[in-house]
Amino acid sequence: MKMILAHPQKCVSCHLCEGACSFKHEGAFQPAKTRIHVHDFVDEAMYVPVTCFHCSDAPCLSNCPTYAITRDADGMVHVNDDKCIGCKMCLVACPFSVMSFHEEKNVSQNCDLCGGDPQCVKICTYDALEYVDVEPIEWAVRLDIAERPAATAS
Amino acid sequence: MPYGWIGQLLRVDLTSGSCAKEPLNMKWAAEYIGGRGLGTRYLYEEMDPSVDALAPENRLIFATGPLTGTYAPTGGRYMVICKSPLTDAVACSNSGGYWGPELKFAGYDMVILEGRSPRPVYLWINNDHAEIRDAAHVWGKNTEETEDTLRAETDPQARISGIGPAGENLNRVACVINDKSRAAGRSGVGAVMGSKNVKAIVVRGTGAISVADPLTFGEIVFESMKEINASPTTSMALRGMGTASTVGFTNAVGMLPTNNFQTGQFEHADAISGQTIAKTVLKRNKGCYSCPIGCARVTEIKPGGKYSGHGEGPEYETIFGLGSDCGVGDLDAVLYANYLCNLYAVDTISAGGTVATAMELVERGYIPPEDLVEVGTELKFGNADAVMRCLELMSYPKGKFSKLLAEGGYRLAEHYGHPELFMGSKKQDFAAYDPRGAKGMGLGYATSNRGACHLRGYSMTVEWFAPPDQRVDAFTPDGKAAIQKELQDKAAAEDAVGVCTFASFAATPPEKLAPMYNACTGENLSVEDWMKAGDRIWNLERLFNNGAGLSRKDDSLPPRMTREPLSNGAVQNQVVELAQMLAEYYRVRGWDDDGNPKAETLARLGI
Repeated sequence: MKMILAHPQKCVSCHLCEGACSFKHEGAFQPAKTRIHVHDFVDEAMYVPVTCFHCSDAPCLSNCPTYAITRDADGMVHVNDDKCIGCKMCLVACPFSVMSFHEEKNVSQNCDLCGGDPQCVKICTYDALEYVDVEPIEWAVRLDIAERPAATAS
Repeated sequence: MPYGWIGQLLRVDLTSGSCAKEPLNMKWAAEYIGGRGLGTRYLYEEMDPSVDALAPENRLIFATGPLTGTYAPTGGRYMVICKSPLTDAVACSNSGGYWGPELKFAGYDMVILEGRSPRPVYLWINNDHAEIRDAAHVWGKNTEETEDTLRAETDPQARISGIGPAGENLNRVACVINDKSRAAGRSGVGAVMGSKNVKAIVVRGTGAISVADPLTFGEIVFESMKEINASPTTSMALRGMGTASTVGFTNAVGMLPTNNFQTGQFEHADAISGQTIAKTVLKRNKGCYSCPIGCARVTEIKPGGKYSGHGEGPEYETIFGLGSDCGVGDLDAVLYANYLCNLYAVDTISAGGTVATAMELVERGYIPPEDLVEVGTELKFGNADAVMRCLELMSYPKGKFSKLLAEGGYRLAEHYGHPELFMGSKKQDFAAYDPRGAKGMGLGYATSNRGACHLRGYSMTVEWFAPPDQRVDAFTPDGKAAIQKELQDKAAAEDAVGVCTFASFAATPPEKLAPMYNACTGENLSVEDWMKAGDRIWNLERLFNNGAGLSRKDDSLPPRMTREPLSNGAVQNQVVELAQMLAEYYRVRGWDDDGNPKAETLARLGI
């Protein structure tokens, strides 16, 4: 399965990913309704894009009382709007707080990878977001973490 | 809701303490694009240009453009428009960060402040809800303390734009700072905010911005993103070294203003260059909202030295203003002075220019020693302590000299009988390109409607930075009038639509920006219409200035620029042939010999 990998050390906090996400899904620019969020720690000079990890053991899925959240054949976790009753159990269950709630539609929503062409990744000119296979991600994440002390030392 | 726009502005009467929403004038929006143009249209309509800039009758307008808040490359800008207390001309200062988009998400394209509050207040805009709140507890606080305090008492995701102590104390080069380090820097807009007793505008918005033709808009935007990533100017120079990447070049040719423009080369230029910053104090780069370039520098002074701190900057202009122009070649000192300017909220260019002017006045013995007691250290080129002290004095003026510093360089030099030692035009300090090395910049400084400014007509692009086959001779005055006019109109339209001029270096020439604007708003402007709108904005600003009492005499440069050649680098022996260029410029603009737009020019532009 491919997923979105974020490199916080490359992020510059431009929030273009949020704009692209809301434009794709809402047809308008509205960061309040985006499915990817950039958290700015301004004083620490750290900007962290966070979106759904499509967890292997997804707490949102296992806690959904109406079985509205399922995993498709590719491994992607998604919300079935018809079955979602807007109880927000998944928002509570998500350990990364990336499940969000769409007030008008009264349903939960997570990243749907834009059907395989994630707009957030496409618009990021800083390579802070990548759309990559799960397998090499483990390695990439380890490398990211290893690079931080290395960068400080140099 | 009109496409690209919210279609609504917030009008705040500070005298009576009331806030009211009103529909945006969409006819004006179409004629003047937005932001700088639309704000100026309101300003021109609503106030007498001859009133004192610090009087309650002055308007203070925070305006966004139709692309602000979209994912158009660099679509995060807003502008602060008013009459300037520094130049007595129109002021329009542009800033990035996140505040402008947040205002639109809250449901407003513009905020117009009028009158004067009887006590210090701030404005809290939370989507539909707008209220004037007491600001006694943050009055006197620096921008960082203010932002942290106001965010804590409003919303953790609120964005804040406001003034520091300099603006409160009516310093004529005070700026407005948003997001702690982005500045609507020039022309003293912070003093106007201070004169109205408004500390800050705090905004939180969750709304949406729609565009007319999403498919076309997306196509143009993604293509522009690719171009920005492919261009060495935007993806390597600006992203890698920030605007400071320019230091090496200007110093090499002899255009890096040093010691109040007495020379154009600085012996310590390498120590304060973009390369040195990237290798030493740079923590990372940062982008404003929707910016694919990321030129901002997040820096930290390495511990163990005389100074400490962290923040954003320095920009190229700051390195000149607080560095070379004051003879300061210590990078830590430049950083620290930059951080101070952000905290006090003063324009780094004009604050530096003011100190440099004072230093030359002292050097030539024009300031009696008894006036300098307040400074407490020798006010001479190269003394970083004097720069820090002057920044503090001008932000918290108490004695005679500090009050003069708070008046800006021109008034300071005039007080001591030597206005010719002020390096600027329309009482506003020059930016960091000695115009003797690029004649178009000289004409641009002299004719800029907001006083000397490098961004109004940035002819460096064609005089020095263009590929050889597209470059024009930097030293000739010939043809510079037409070049300046075109660049000025182009920049006016960029400012109006809500993008940063840096995007145009790679991806947003008018041929791209006009279609992007059309896809966003549903308008149908040709490139010619687009440039004409820029021309319209420029002429309206000029009409405001003429109404404020400015004329040909104010389209001037100090004698140093027109009579004293530089003696260094490739640009030596050059002076600015202003009179020749100015006459041609008025002709190209369709203005009479006094610099008034002719009736037929105004008719052609529909003003």
